[in-house]
Parts: sequence; C-alpha cells; structure tokens
Amino acid sequence: MASSEVAPGRPRPRPLSPHLQIYRFTVTMVMSILHRITGVGLYVGVLLLAWFLIAASTDAAAFGWFTAFIQSFIGRLVLFGFTWALFNHMLGGIRHFIWDAGYGLEAPTRDQLAWIGAIGGLALTFITFAIGYAVR
Amino acid sequence: MSGKTGGLRTPLTRVRFLGTAQKGTGEARLIHVTGLANILLGLYFVWLILDVLHKDYNGVRATLGNPINAILLLAFILSGIVHMEIGMRSVIVDYVDGRMRALALMANTCFCALLAVACVYATLRVSFT
Repeated sequence: MASSEVAPGRPRPRPLSPHLQIYRFTVTMVMSILHRITGVGLYVGVLLLAWFLIAASTDAAAFGWFTAFIQSFIGRLVLFGFTWALFNHMLGGIRHFIWDAGYGLEAPTRDQLAWIGAIGGLALTFITFAIGYAVR
Repeated sequence: MSGKTGGLRTPLTRVRFLGTAQKGTGEARLIHVTGLANILLGLYFVWLILDVLHKDYNGVRATLGNPINAILLLAFILSGIVHMEIGMRSVIVDYVDGRMRALALMANTCFCALLAVACVYATLRVSFT
C-alpha cells in the first residue's frame, strides 16, 4: 500500500474512493461528463456574448473587430463549439428534469435518453448552422 | 450565521468549508429554476442570433434595441449568469481544496458579477443611445 511509504510523523493520506479510471464507460456516464464540460465551456463562451454586446454598444469600428473575428475560420469554429455546448447542455438539463421527476430511470430508457441528448445536441447544432448559412 | 447551525459550531468551521453550509436547498432550487428558464430563453437566444447574423451594425443595433428583444436578452443574461455561477461553484467545490477553493469561489463570483454588469450595461446602452 502506498500509505505505508509515508514518512513517520506525517498524517497518512486519506483513502480516496475509486474514480473514473476503474469504471466501464457507459453512455449516461459520458453524457454526464459532457454535461459538466459543456457547462464550463458555456461559462467561458459567455465572454463572446459580452464582447458582442459591448462592441454593438460602442461603435461601428468596435463592432467591425467582433464581426471580423466571428466570421474568421477560428471564429466560426468557436461559434460552432458554443452552439453545440448550448444544445448538448440544454438537452442534458431536460434529461435531468425528466429523471428528477422520477421517469426514464429504467435500464433501456435512461440510455435512450442519453443517446437522444448526444445525437440531438449535434443535430440541433447542424440544423442551426444550416439555417444560418441558408437564410440571408 | 443562521440560527439552525448555532449550537457548538464556530464561524471558523464555515470559513474552512467544514460541515454543511445549510444553503443547499435554496441553491439547488435556483439552479433548477434558472435552468428551466434557460431552456426557453436559450432557444429564443439562438433565434435572435440567427436573426441578426447577416445584419450590419445599424441593423444589429435596431434588432437588439427592440424592447421585446432587449427584455428577453436581459432575462437570458441574468438567468444564465446566475445558473453558471452556481454551476461553476459546484465544479470548484468538487475539484479544488483548501485556500485555493476560497480564492476560486471568490474569483467565480467576481467574474460572474462583472460579466453580468457588463452584459446588462451594454444591452441597455444599445437600447438607450
């Protein structure tokens, strides 16, 4: 045991419960992790919204800087990521509301709900971008 | 300090994140309420962005300055930032310990407060100038 190697007089490290590395990956588990990651992503992504609003409230030159970024390849990639994070997190939230209400917790249904979130999040992102490119 | 946690607990235990903060229910309720609001306001927000996507500077300002859009955008900003403040707090509490936890929690609150002020100010400025 690693704890026996600790020098005498120092407190033994507390035992840790097993974490990610010992579990088999399941769809509900991956979607749970993605829910947290997309949440953190949206947290950072709100800076983009702040930039957009501040630029729009400043002047045409400031707004030009924002549009130049968002229309660039990197900008579109960031916006795509933000959109996917938003929809993935939104569907994850709906899934959690369903579970909180006590529905859909059985083995097949909970996996189906997780898959709906995974595929639905991507589908809604592609649909949104399709509309964005189509409508002018 | 709330009366419920009086007894033998000292304020120091709360500062050191020992034991319950007695705030969980209110926070859990708030993240659910804002989450529900964010579903509706988030869908509206996507629609709003698609609406302004191909507009020029004056067109964007005219759309954002429309009272209905400004009101719903402000609601999304506030509901969204309250939601993300609580969400990030739970992430910090899960992964960060000790003094870094206190600093991270303060940084989270300050970042969210500043972001909220900036977004609200900018939205109102588009409407009123």
